[in-house]
Amino acid sequence: MRDTSTAFRVKKALGYAMMLAFLGFSLLPVVWVVLLSLRPATALFEPIWESPAAWTLDNIRSIARSDFPAALLNSFITAGSSTLLALLVGVPGAFALSKRRASNKFFASWLLLLLRMAPPVGFVIPLFLVYVRAGLIDTYAGLIFAYTSLTLPFVVWSMWTSFNQIPDELVEAGLMDGASLGRVLWRIVIPAARPGLVAAGVLSFLLAWNDFFFSLIITRSDTTTAPVAVMNFVSYASVDWGAIAVASIALTLPIVPIIVLANKYIVQSLGGAVKG
Amino acid sequence: MIKVTRRALTATLLLGSTALAPMLAPGTAAAQEREVNVLLFSMPSTRGLAALADDFEAETGIKANIDVVGQDVFESRITLSFTGGARDIDVVHTPVIQVQRWVEAGWLEPMTAQIDGLADKDDILSGPLEAYKVSGDYYGMPFFAETGLMAYRKDLLEAAGVGVPETWDEMLEVAKAVDSDDTAAIAMRVAPGQGFNMFVFPMIMRAYGGKFFANYPDDMTPAINSPENLKALNTYITLMNDYGPQGIGNFNFPEVVAALQNGQAAMTVDGTSIVSQAVDPAASKFADQFVLALPPGGPAGRSPAIAVHGLGIPAGSENADAAFEFVKWATSTETLSKLAINEAYPDFTRASVAENPEVQAKYADVQENFLDLRVEALTLALGHYRPLIPTWPEIGAAIGENVNAAVNGLMSPEEALEAAEDEMKSILAY
Repeated sequence: MRDTSTAFRVKKALGYAMMLAFLGFSLLPVVWVVLLSLRPATALFEPIWESPAAWTLDNIRSIARSDFPAALLNSFITAGSSTLLALLVGVPGAFALSKRRASNKFFASWLLLLLRMAPPVGFVIPLFLVYVRAGLIDTYAGLIFAYTSLTLPFVVWSMWTSFNQIPDELVEAGLMDGASLGRVLWRIVIPAARPGLVAAGVLSFLLAWNDFFFSLIITRSDTTTAPVAVMNFVSYASVDWGAIAVASIALTLPIVPIIVLANKYIVQSLGGAVKG
Repeated sequence: MIKVTRRALTATLLLGSTALAPMLAPGTAAAQEREVNVLLFSMPSTRGLAALADDFEAETGIKANIDVVGQDVFESRITLSFTGGARDIDVVHTPVIQVQRWVEAGWLEPMTAQIDGLADKDDILSGPLEAYKVSGDYYGMPFFAETGLMAYRKDLLEAAGVGVPETWDEMLEVAKAVDSDDTAAIAMRVAPGQGFNMFVFPMIMRAYGGKFFANYPDDMTPAINSPENLKALNTYITLMNDYGPQGIGNFNFPEVVAALQNGQAAMTVDGTSIVSQAVDPAASKFADQFVLALPPGGPAGRSPAIAVHGLGIPAGSENADAAFEFVKWATSTETLSKLAINEAYPDFTRASVAENPEVQAKYADVQENFLDLRVEALTLALGHYRPLIPTWPEIGAAIGENVNAAVNGLMSPEEALEAAEDEMKSILAY
């Protein structure tokens, strides 16, 4: 008994050690970026022990004075709006696809998947040209619509799966009791599919938040989003590493509370469990 | 549980709802007022130019929407705009090495009549300006001309008891004497690219008498595998591998600058925009020890690198008059003087700027003969330092890859030059 217990403890300790090592390994880039963001330009490439006193807030100040905060706001506005739009349109769409008895669902599902599979680079040139003619370059509306082409198929696809796990009887019972279809969706189905809804919202927000490509092509100075603005610190003959570090943190920080808050639902949703 | 859920739900919805209102807010140019859309890539003079945009509007009544972006962002945007014929940009940053290719593709509007019509045309440095001439027409106005210089640590050279290297052969000796465990003797760019290692390596090549072509521009037979180029490549390899800092095989400008500023390298030979960061007291720990000088030469003399940037007008521009107004303003003596005073590098393209007492005082403060050195280097520099042909970007990239491979020991110097020669032939044949 004693032996097995020792062996068990050793195993457990080894397991923890490995997990800690892996955690350290995964977190190293994050720690490094945080350190970089607080070091002056002259000490950036030195080991910390060579200039342990060299710390500065200059990088943060210079970011605060730059165009970056505006770009961060642009990211919020566009990612937030396109998520909202995708949820408004996509949730009822997914509900219909899930609960309506129709024969062409197979076709619809493939069409949706196709939208998710097509690489943006394939349609960005036509999109760009249309936008130029329509005056949508460097507008919020243009970027939000472009992002919705990413977020909407995602929302529909993932909500469709969530709604499928809700028994049809629940919907039928609601209708039988005289509720309208909209009321059934709002009062019964959506609350039951809450984890899926939160996950779809958060993940589609991230999809748009992390976008680089669309913003690169169809924004100019007014609506540039943060991921593109970070690239602007790479300039001719110099790279402002300190600013890039601060900007990267600023780009990551807003995501953290969202993920922490929604983590439970995302796990539930990806795990496929629906709590009634 | 439910509370958390609601909060999460509201959080998600709030993110979106803060956003619906301004959805249709800022738009592209309202056509009524006169505006020019300017796309530039980020460097001190373009950032400085953007900061002066209000002056332009005050002088001309034309609003300049100046977009200053990173180089990669610039390239994606401009390529798409050109190939799509979008005409969304009125004035475009035109690096001289791109001008031949862009003109061949029909992407730029000629500006010959306007430039010839300038009362003070003679004041524009002729080397940089003529580089924008393609089959008799000007396709750009230079606003920035940087040239190759050497920066060396006088304290370390003195300590090693050696003088300033005048030739690349002497550089080998000096590097050997200066190199120590604490400080590598020399750091130069090795990262492959027509604007990276192929910006610095031709300075060695041409000093030894090496060329890209048998007799540019009359005989365009590739001549990269010549004995002179081999000698130059061997010198470069020895300098980098024996006397360069660790990891030199992938050094690009940020690494070179950091090595100089932090005392990990005693010398470099590179463009003004790089070497001036070594003497910049705000960023360099050894600013007071670094001295600027002409780059080393060789049997064929000195051949300082040259990089010229200018402003062009995209073909078919519906706004060409206002666009040229902007170009004229941005490259005027007044604007260039302001830039030379406000920013860190003296890379102006008009002779009269050097006569401005404020400009003189500023650069004399960095180093007594800084401006003279620059003029001397510009005079020595070949206009076709990097050949002015449409295929140069590809050729430069191909040679750069092979030169980099040779420094990193992936192939012998002979093999590298042979491979470069073959690639040049196939690019030219195509």
